[in-house]
Amino acid sequence: MRVTVVSIPVRDQAKALEFYTEKLGFVKKLDIPISEDSRWLTVVSKYEQDGPEVLLEPAPNHFEPAKVYQDALFNAGIPCTQFDVDNVEEEYERLTNLGVEFSMPPKDVGTVKVAVFNDTCNNYIQLVEQK
Amino acid sequence: MKAEKSNYYLQEVDRIINECYSNQIQIDMAVAAKRYIDQNFEQDINLDLLAHIGFASKCHLLRIFKRYHGITPRQYLIHKRISEAKKQLQKGASVSNACYAVGFNSLNSFSILFKKKTGKSPSSYRKAIFDK
Repeated sequence: MRVTVVSIPVRDQAKALEFYTEKLGFVKKLDIPISEDSRWLTVVSKYEQDGPEVLLEPAPNHFEPAKVYQDALFNAGIPCTQFDVDNVEEEYERLTNLGVEFSMPPKDVGTVKVAVFNDTCNNYIQLVEQK
Repeated sequence: MKAEKSNYYLQEVDRIINECYSNQIQIDMAVAAKRYIDQNFEQDINLDLLAHIGFASKCHLLRIFKRYHGITPRQYLIHKRISEAKKQLQKGASVSNACYAVGFNSLNSFSILFKKKTGKSPSSYRKAIFDK
């Protein structure tokens, strides 16, 4: 088995695609219609375009428990997933200048430095830098 | 900088920092040992050397490294070398050049470890890149 796709729940795929490509810098990989209002929509890191894909999945629109779970995580401030970066401080500055809101500015946690931001799609995402 | 609005996750992070990461001397030692491997992976690195550099006993260093990084220094060194070997192969290096460039001194053990960690032999991995 291999890990090829991880999913992030979103309610507006177009808005999510804009945020993940234009603000975060991901690259759109697959965009396949699967119903009138849903697409199999994935993005990849521009540095690892053959690497795992992030599926911007509209599950909360179609499956109530997915919506409840997403809301519960968000309300508790718990990140939906995390991405590695070389320098958390630099990403924090870059994203803050683009208007991205952080619930946790860069913080040392043992052997890593982390920060958490709001992806505007009802999720928190954690950035991690290995020291 | 705006004040953080507290939530469950932020409280948990603070709890983890207080309960798991309160010993800065140990954290610094674990980070320094990992950085040394990152910067010298192609050299002949062993626990004696890491312990000597970290001014600690081998046992202590091993315990601290595993405690904070989740794997032993030896496992991390192999992980680092295989990761660097992949970069070498992607750049077009031959299998033997990649093997020796990242610090392995046996082509056989390199090939076995590479296959174990990536699922492909070095030559299959290289071929797959250039067949694309």
